[in-house]
Amino acid sequence: MQFIKNPNFDFMKYKYIALVFSGLIILTGLINITVGTGINYGIDFAGGTLVRIIFRDQVSVGEIRQDLRDIGIENSRIQEIGENGREYIIRTFEEEAEEQSGEEIEAHEYVAQLVVDALRSEEEKSAITQGLPDLNSIDENFLAELIQPEFPEQAEELAQRITVLRNSQDLEGIIQDYSQLSELAGLSPELINLLQEKTFLSHFAVLSKETVGPQIGLDLRRKAAQATIWALFGMLIYIAIRFQYAYGVSAILTLAHDVLITVGIFSLTNRELNLPVIAAILTLVGYSLNDTIVIFDRVRDNLKLLRKSDFKHLLNTSINQTISRTVITSGTTFLTVFTLFLFGGEVINDFAFTMLIGVIVGTFSSIYLSCSMLFFWKKIFKPKKGLGK
Amino acid sequence: MNKKIRWKIILVIAVIALAVFLAYPPGEKINLGLDLRGGMHLVLEVVTDDAVVTETDQEIARFKEELNENDISFEIISKTSGQIAQFYIEGFPPDKQGEVRQLVEEKFQQWDIRPSSERITLTIKSGVESYLREQSVRQSLQTIGNRVDELGLTEPTIQRQGLTGSRIIVELPGVEDPERVKEILKTTAKLEFRLVLSGPAPDRETLLADQDGEVPAGAEVMRGDLSRTQGEYYLVSDVAPIVGSDLRNARRTTDEWNNPAVSFSLNPEGARRFATFTEEHVGEPLSIVLDGQIQQVANIRERIPPPGDTILHGSYTMEEAEDISLVLRAGALPAGIRYLEDRTIGPSLGADSIRKGLTSILVALFLVLIFMGIYYRMAGINAIVALLLNILLLMGALAYFKASLTLPGIAGIILTVGMAVDANVLVFERIREELSQGKSVWSSIASGFSRAFKTILDANVTTIIAAIFLFQFGTGPIRGFAVTLIIGITASMFTAVFVSRLIFELTVPRTKKKQKLSI
Repeated sequence: MQFIKNPNFDFMKYKYIALVFSGLIILTGLINITVGTGINYGIDFAGGTLVRIIFRDQVSVGEIRQDLRDIGIENSRIQEIGENGREYIIRTFEEEAEEQSGEEIEAHEYVAQLVVDALRSEEEKSAITQGLPDLNSIDENFLAELIQPEFPEQAEELAQRITVLRNSQDLEGIIQDYSQLSELAGLSPELINLLQEKTFLSHFAVLSKETVGPQIGLDLRRKAAQATIWALFGMLIYIAIRFQYAYGVSAILTLAHDVLITVGIFSLTNRELNLPVIAAILTLVGYSLNDTIVIFDRVRDNLKLLRKSDFKHLLNTSINQTISRTVITSGTTFLTVFTLFLFGGEVINDFAFTMLIGVIVGTFSSIYLSCSMLFFWKKIFKPKKGLGK
Repeated sequence: MNKKIRWKIILVIAVIALAVFLAYPPGEKINLGLDLRGGMHLVLEVVTDDAVVTETDQEIARFKEELNENDISFEIISKTSGQIAQFYIEGFPPDKQGEVRQLVEEKFQQWDIRPSSERITLTIKSGVESYLREQSVRQSLQTIGNRVDELGLTEPTIQRQGLTGSRIIVELPGVEDPERVKEILKTTAKLEFRLVLSGPAPDRETLLADQDGEVPAGAEVMRGDLSRTQGEYYLVSDVAPIVGSDLRNARRTTDEWNNPAVSFSLNPEGARRFATFTEEHVGEPLSIVLDGQIQQVANIRERIPPPGDTILHGSYTMEEAEDISLVLRAGALPAGIRYLEDRTIGPSLGADSIRKGLTSILVALFLVLIFMGIYYRMAGINAIVALLLNILLLMGALAYFKASLTLPGIAGIILTVGMAVDANVLVFERIREELSQGKSVWSSIASGFSRAFKTILDANVTTIIAAIFLFQFGTGPIRGFAVTLIIGITASMFTAVFVSRLIFELTVPRTKKKQKLSI
C-alpha cells in the first residue's frame, strides 16, 4: 500500500505563503502573550495550591463558589473533571495567599485548608470538634489502631480492607455510605457499628493536594527556560558538526518557530503552562528535528547525486523523496498522541494537547520551512564550498 | 543458515531473556513513581540561619562567663542588631582592652575581632559560618531520616537537592495523612528541663509585677503550650540542665489515670546530672519545655535517681503522645525547616492514572500495529515484532536502572510507540525506493538498511539531546519521562535496525531467482 505514488509537489513554490502564514500565527501569539491574556502559568511556575476533590453527590461550580465566597476566595479557579459533576480541581492563587498571611508556603497550605474547611457541612464540623476522624481520609495505620481494642486479632487486615475498598475503581476514593462497607467489603455489623460510633464520613474526599511556593516556581521557570535554550544550542552544535553550519542554523530557526507557535497557541487557548508542558515542548523540538534531519540528509545526498540540478529543484526533490516517510511517521505519532489526549485523563491532558499541536506544527515546518531556510541561506551568504560535505 | 546469523539469533534471544528476567513480574519489578502509587513529595529548606543564631547565642553566654571569670567588667554584651553572626561588648575599662583581645585570641578563635576604644565587635569567621550551615543541613537530613524510619514508612527517599545548598527532597510513598507527617517532620523537638522561678500568671505584666516589669538576669518568660493549656505565663531559668541530647529513649505510655502520656529515660551522663540537680532543688517547680512551649510544670518531690525515668503528661491525645515520643526518639533538628513544595497524590488518583495510562498504551499500540500491518504487509509484521520487542526492552531497562515509572513516563512509552516505528519506516521507504529503481530484493534490503542507518542515528541523537536536558532540569515525574524516552529511542535503534534486519534474513530467501518482497 502507498499513500502517495511518485510524489512531485512544488513545495518551494509556497515558501513565502508559508512564511507569512507562520509569521502571522507567531505574531498573534506574541501579541496575546505580551498585551493580551498572557501566559497562564500553572502552579509549577506561579506557585499556589491545587486541590482535587471528589464529592459524594453531584455538586455545581456555583455551589462550590458560594462556599468559597464565605471565606473570601471566590475568585479561585474551579474546574470540573469528567462529566458527572462530582470531581473538581480548585486552584487558589498566590496573591490571595499573601493577603491571608505573610509566610510563604504556610500561607498556601493555610488557604488549602481553608478551602477544605469551607466545603465542610455543619455536621462534619461538629464531628471534627468532637475529635472524630474522617473515615474518608484516615491513615491505614491509625485506622488499625482505632479498631484495635475491639478487634485485636484482625485490626490491621480489616483496616487494609477498608482503605483498599476506598481506593478501588468503584468508589474512586470516597466511601459514600457505611452500608457500602458491608456490601462491598463484607465487614461485620459489629465493626460497622464501631466505625459509625468512632468515625464520620465526609461528603467529599481530597484526592490530591499540591502546593508550590513562589520560590520554587521562580526556580522552575528559570530552569525551564535554560533547559529549552541549552537543548536548542546542543542540537545546533550537533547538526553543525554532522552537517554544516547552514543546516544547523536553518534547523534551529525551524525549531524556534515550532516552539513559538506552540507557546502562542497555548496562550491563545488559555491552557495552563506546567512542567509536563515544557517536557512536551522539548520533546516536540526533538521530534520536529527528526523530520528536518531526514530531509536535510536527503538534500546532502542529492547535492552529490544531482550536481547539475538547480538548488530549488533539488530541495523540492528531497522533500518529495522523503514525504511518504514524513507523512507516515507523523501519522503514527499523531495517532498515539491523540490516543493519549482522548484516554490519558486530566493529569496528562495538557501534555497531550501540546504534543498534538507540536506534531502538526513540526511536520508543517519541516516540510515547508526548513528547506526554505536553507534556500535563503544559500541566496544570502552564497557559501563558496556549496552546501554539500 | 550461516554462522553469523546463528550468533545474531542467539544474541537476540539472550537480550529477550534478560529483559523478561529483569521485568517479570512487572508488578514487583517496575518501580512506580509517586504520582502513580500515591504518596507525598516534599521540598523543604533548612533555615540554616537558625544554626548560626544558636551558635552566636551560645558563644555570647560563654563570653560572658569568661569575662566574669577574668574579672573584666562590662556594661553591654549583645548581638549586633540585624546581624546573626556578630556581637559586641561595650563599657569595659579602657585598660582591659588588651586582656579582652587576648581572651578572644586564646579561647574564641572562631571569631574575627574588630576593636575600637569603646566597643569590641566579634564576627564569626566565614569558614566557620559555612561549616555551621553545612552541618545543620547534614544533621537535619539525619534527623529527618530518623523520623521517617520511626514512622515506619516504606521505601522513603530523603536526599539533598544538589550537592550544596539547604534544600532537602523527601519522597514518601503511600502516605495518606500528609498533615500529620508534615507536622512531625517540622517539629524542631528541642526538649529542655527548666526551673520555674515564678508563675503561672495570666499575662506578662502580672508575672513581672514583682520584678518592676523587667525580666531579671538569668531568667526568661515562657508560656504554656497554647494548643493544650490556657497559655499561662511563667518566669523560668535561662539555663537548662537537661536537654534533648541527654535522652536515651522515649515512648508513648499511659499515666496512672490511664491518660496518654510520654515516658522517657536519660542516658547515664544526663541521668547523673539530673539526680544532682533534683537533689539540689527539692520542692521547687520544674518545667518541661518542648520547642519553647511549656508542656508541664511539676514540683520536684525528691531526688530522681538514675536512670532518671520521667513521665510527661499534658492532656495529650493518643496520637499526640505518639508523635511527641517519636520526635524525641528521633532527635532534635538543629535548625527550623520551611516547606517550599508539597505535593500529595492520593492512592485512588494514582490507580486511576495507571488505568488510563495503560488504556492509552494499549489503544495506541493497537492502532499503530494495525496501520503498519496494512501499510507494509509482511514487512509491517516485521516492524510489529520490533516494536513489541522495543517495549519489552524498555520495561527491562526501567527495572534494571530502578527508574520510576511516572505518568509522564507512560506518555513517554506511548510516544516511543509512535516514534520507534520511524526507524522502520525510514528503512522500508528506502527499500521501496531501491526496489522501484529495479534493484533485486536483497540488494534493496541491504542498501535500504545501510543508507537509512545514518539518518536514523542523526535523528535519534538529537532527540536524545533534548531528553538529556529535560532530565537535567526536571523533577520526579518529568525525569521519568526523559528516562523512558531515552531508553525507548536507544532500544529502537537495536530493534528496528538489528532485529528487523535479522527477521528479513530469516524470512526472505537468498536466491538468484526473481522474487517479490511483501513491503
